[in-house]
Amino acid sequence: MEQLIDALAYPPIQRAVLACVLCGAGCSLLSVFVVLMKMPLIGVSMSHAAFAGAVLGMLIHVNPFLSGLILCLLTAGILGPLSDRTDIAPENVLGILFSFLMGVAFLGMGILTHTKAEALNLIWGSLLSLSGPHLAVLAAVTVLLVAFILLFFKEIRSVLFNRRLAAASGVPERPIYYALLFLTGAIVSSNLTTVGGLLIFALLVQPGATALQLTYNLKHFFIISAFSGIAACLLGLVASYLLDLPSGAAVVLAATAIFAAAYVFSPKRRKAGPKKGKPVS
Amino acid sequence: MKRTGASGSAVHDPVMELEGITVRKSRGLLLDDVSLRVSRNEFVGIIGPNGAGKTTLLNVIAGFERFEGALRLFGRRESRKRTRETQLRIGYVPQLFPIDPAFPILAAEAVMTGAVGRLGFFRRSGEAEREKAMRLMEMMRMAHLADSPLGQLSGGERQKVSLARAILQEPDILLMDEPTANLDIAVQREVLILINELHRRENMTFLFVTHDFTMLPAAMRRAVLLDRGRVVFDGDVSGALSSETLSGLFRYPIELFERNGRRYVSYD
Repeated sequence: MEQLIDALAYPPIQRAVLACVLCGAGCSLLSVFVVLMKMPLIGVSMSHAAFAGAVLGMLIHVNPFLSGLILCLLTAGILGPLSDRTDIAPENVLGILFSFLMGVAFLGMGILTHTKAEALNLIWGSLLSLSGPHLAVLAAVTVLLVAFILLFFKEIRSVLFNRRLAAASGVPERPIYYALLFLTGAIVSSNLTTVGGLLIFALLVQPGATALQLTYNLKHFFIISAFSGIAACLLGLVASYLLDLPSGAAVVLAATAIFAAAYVFSPKRRKAGPKKGKPVS
Repeated sequence: MKRTGASGSAVHDPVMELEGITVRKSRGLLLDDVSLRVSRNEFVGIIGPNGAGKTTLLNVIAGFERFEGALRLFGRRESRKRTRETQLRIGYVPQLFPIDPAFPILAAEAVMTGAVGRLGFFRRSGEAEREKAMRLMEMMRMAHLADSPLGQLSGGERQKVSLARAILQEPDILLMDEPTANLDIAVQREVLILINELHRRENMTFLFVTHDFTMLPAAMRRAVLLDRGRVVFDGDVSGALSSETLSGLFRYPIELFERNGRRYVSYD
């Protein structure tokens, strides 16, 4: 424990903790959308876009964070209009984009001969090597997401409930949906180096799935999700420090543990449970 | 009676005019030269078998579908893209759609989403909207369900929520796409009676799409029969409901007969 408190005095550790909180908050707020709109693939697609972009950036000597962000935003820009076309199911669009981006990323990895280690960091994350400016970007996109949710809460509720009905009753659902895709791109790419591309996916699903076990109130849903995400990140970080585990993996396992607890103690399931299981006597 | 409306001049006051509306898809024509005039406060049924183009027709009017031909709403020529003002004047009640039982929305909140577009950005739906929603739910005898999670309501209750939601939008035209499909017979009746009552109370034009000619709301006076994207009949409901017309439309022998003023349907 003392060891832990001592460690908090070091700026790299402080930055890592802050990044963890921001990552937990940002990803888990997005997970509300991912879970309620039933598009878990958006997380994988975006994280692979960010990953592919970063690898390409390393190849052509551009800041990998910047090139990751650009490819993410591009993906968001393609995804929106493409998934609105009625002749292809959005899951298929995501599946195709996802595999394409994975192909691009691994192609880049193959060509990249000298700095493979740096690219591997993108997969597993490297919390301790975070720079100040990077942290500022991370904070900015997280604040942007929170502002978006607060300002457009009633529009968001109606779009989450049913996009088509929202459109039919004069809610600008496309701008809301596209803004959401762009924010997902920004959050995912800026978090790529914290938890890593592979593990971001877990944080884009698990906190929302946790909240789904616990509440019918959308406001509480966002709050529970955010807190469980932040808790998973901090718990994971502490565990990785104390037990010398890889931080990304520890974060994801913590998130899974929180989800499992929520599932077991879910008041929603208990209320609905007996109805189904009741014998007809 | 409804066709002339209260003012008596409603016939000359069309809220909706379709001229030669055609919807073309790679698999063929979904709508083929459909023309239709609907006056204020009319209650029109769009009836036809599966694949006749009924839903496509509603989608054209609602702004969900690209089309050829001329569409006028409230006297203004419209394409697929709508201004927010026009969109707000058209309400939409979908078929019963599946919802996750755990989805975080209460019945009253779902009803209130109908007011979101009307209120616009940055305006919270306050007490006034909540009261309106509650009054609608009371009228539908479901006020006691206001705070129940929507996903745990029955199909009939959810359809009533959809109706209340669309009414709260305060549209001039209400489009209903098989609102009673997949409900049991008693609940279908209940929803139809509710729709009649809403038509009497609200100053709205109703368009009601169905393939089930045995379950029509009493307030529906006019029927438009669609077959393979074409209008094959447009007139009084009683005129549409003949053995010959229906057998032709559904390509199946259907017999209708009347006894003691009630209409009976018989088919194998």
